[in-house]
Amino acid sequence: MIDVEANRLVMCVSAHLHTGMSMGVIRTDRLTRRFGDLVAVDDLSVEVPRGGVTGLVGPNGSGKSTLIRMLLGLIRPSSGTADVLGHPISRPEVYASQVGALVEAPAFVPGLSARANLRSLARLRGLPDVRVEDVLMTVGLMGREQEPVKRFSLGMKQRLGIAAAMLPDPQVLVLDEPTNGLDPAGIVEIRGLLQRLGESGRSVIVSSHLLAEIQSVCDHLLVLRFGVLMYAGPMADLLQRAESHIDVQPEFDSDLERLHQVLVDAGWTVTTDSSGQLRVLAPLAAAAQVNRDAGSGGVTLRAIHARQDDLERIFLEMTGTNDDELAASRAAALRPPHDPGATSNEADR
Amino acid sequence: MSGRHAVADRMGNHRPGLLNVVSSELLRLRRRGIALGWLGLTTAMAVLINVVMFQIVKNGSPPPLNGPGINFPTATTLLSDKGIVAGLPAASSMFGVVALSFWALATSTDYSTGLVRVLVSAQPRRWRLVMGKWMALALATALTTVVALVVSLMVAPIAARAAGFTPTAWGTNLGPDLASATVNLFCALLVWGTIGLALATLTRSSGIAIGVGIGYVLLLETVIKAAVSSAGRWLPGTTIAALANGGTPDLTYGRALALGLVYVVVALGAALVVFTRRDVTD
Repeated sequence: MIDVEANRLVMCVSAHLHTGMSMGVIRTDRLTRRFGDLVAVDDLSVEVPRGGVTGLVGPNGSGKSTLIRMLLGLIRPSSGTADVLGHPISRPEVYASQVGALVEAPAFVPGLSARANLRSLARLRGLPDVRVEDVLMTVGLMGREQEPVKRFSLGMKQRLGIAAAMLPDPQVLVLDEPTNGLDPAGIVEIRGLLQRLGESGRSVIVSSHLLAEIQSVCDHLLVLRFGVLMYAGPMADLLQRAESHIDVQPEFDSDLERLHQVLVDAGWTVTTDSSGQLRVLAPLAAAAQVNRDAGSGGVTLRAIHARQDDLERIFLEMTGTNDDELAASRAAALRPPHDPGATSNEADR
Repeated sequence: MSGRHAVADRMGNHRPGLLNVVSSELLRLRRRGIALGWLGLTTAMAVLINVVMFQIVKNGSPPPLNGPGINFPTATTLLSDKGIVAGLPAASSMFGVVALSFWALATSTDYSTGLVRVLVSAQPRRWRLVMGKWMALALATALTTVVALVVSLMVAPIAARAAGFTPTAWGTNLGPDLASATVNLFCALLVWGTIGLALATLTRSSGIAIGVGIGYVLLLETVIKAAVSSAGRWLPGTTIAALANGGTPDLTYGRALALGLVYVVVALGAALVVFTRRDVTD
């Protein structure tokens, strides 16, 4: 497990260096929201760059939805401040016309048609009905617009939710799990839409549990765990931190111990996974050398696979790989500040 | 109607106003369940009260006392010029229960569907959402009041003939009678509805709001009045009934109107305070 606090500080600095303080479309400063004893968002200082697609990821209960709700003016922070498009979140009415959002599940009147639902939202925003036709076309619901929403599949509701978020032609688009319920073709379609929106200069913020999806569509990333910022910065920078390794298998299982010794003698760091397979911690480019060293030691390899951690692996290292780790972290986060065993994070505050 | 009510600021951003909220709310009220349910129940109530009140007089039995929200008119009232619209004040509590239920339903579904998230993020001036909903529901209530009136005008003569009455006084003062019956019923329903909106905003549940509203007015208030008779003059149920009847011996029309206004202001104020201050977590 990485050192959370040190990493957090480095990443915050890194995010600011990369994005520039004045370029952010969203900026939070020590933003905190408590629900009783639970700290849903904890002293969060971060900046979301203008333009492009930013991913917001974290395990369940990490504060993603709470953060989004605060930015949209649905809930108020316990302390700290935040700006959206340069306006404080205490005055969401100033920027509401430039922000579109899909928060959690898409919400509509089930008995009304898709078009009527969007028209009611367009009227609420003071937009002409023609915008409804535009967004229906964009999300591929033309032809189904007269059907009541209660007959829609989850994927169609999701498309409608994205259409509703796009109604004001927003500068900032916040989408919570936008591909939830979509079929593979729909996922590709929405991914393309998000990328186009990001490339057009709009700022798209996507919250998702689908890390492969986030990795493929996002330029920047915010990682939260229990309301604490774990990473903020370009996706590419995070992926550079990915560890690589080389999995090797001898031709005969009886050579496993010998191969281990040969590779250690050659100077490699070698581990054994739960299935008994040897793993050499080395850059991808070292695969040929590992193969040669095994051969020099008299062991022929049956298989050699060079692998690099993906976002999912990096994410799990940051946030914990199993429920026990998550629960332990959660308990630590909930520990009262006067507790002698308080974490450095709490001491900092 | 489109975005013509919205005002654009110097940067071209839309600044939707209260009329945008009303227009949006009216569109959502067109959903079949609410539109047909509300109008259908209003029609059914109007037909029922007109048939029953003439039959009771025909049978010669005294009108039931302390009934479930219905004050049956006497034969004298039915045969007077006001008899053609006597069903409206007589069943005002039943119309009121229907109004309270649909105001509560229209409010609570914003929570049960999660729509409140979308509405508040689109219109962060939350007081406008409450006032816009109130105005839209008031317009819908005006429509149902007119429906109740029209149905009464159609059914009352038939019900009177079927009961063997020939009310010659009907129509002698038709305009003022229709106007006063309509306005009085509308005012009464507005108080009922506002209470429904407030309860649904407070509880975020139509079931609880309707249960509390109806339970109080039809049951609890009766008990309170029986225990403390002096309190009966200003309690909501009594006030609303007096409003619908154009005043009663216990409560003049002017006083009923003033008290009704107080109840509307208090209920709407409570809804505004709660809705503007509460976190939207639904």
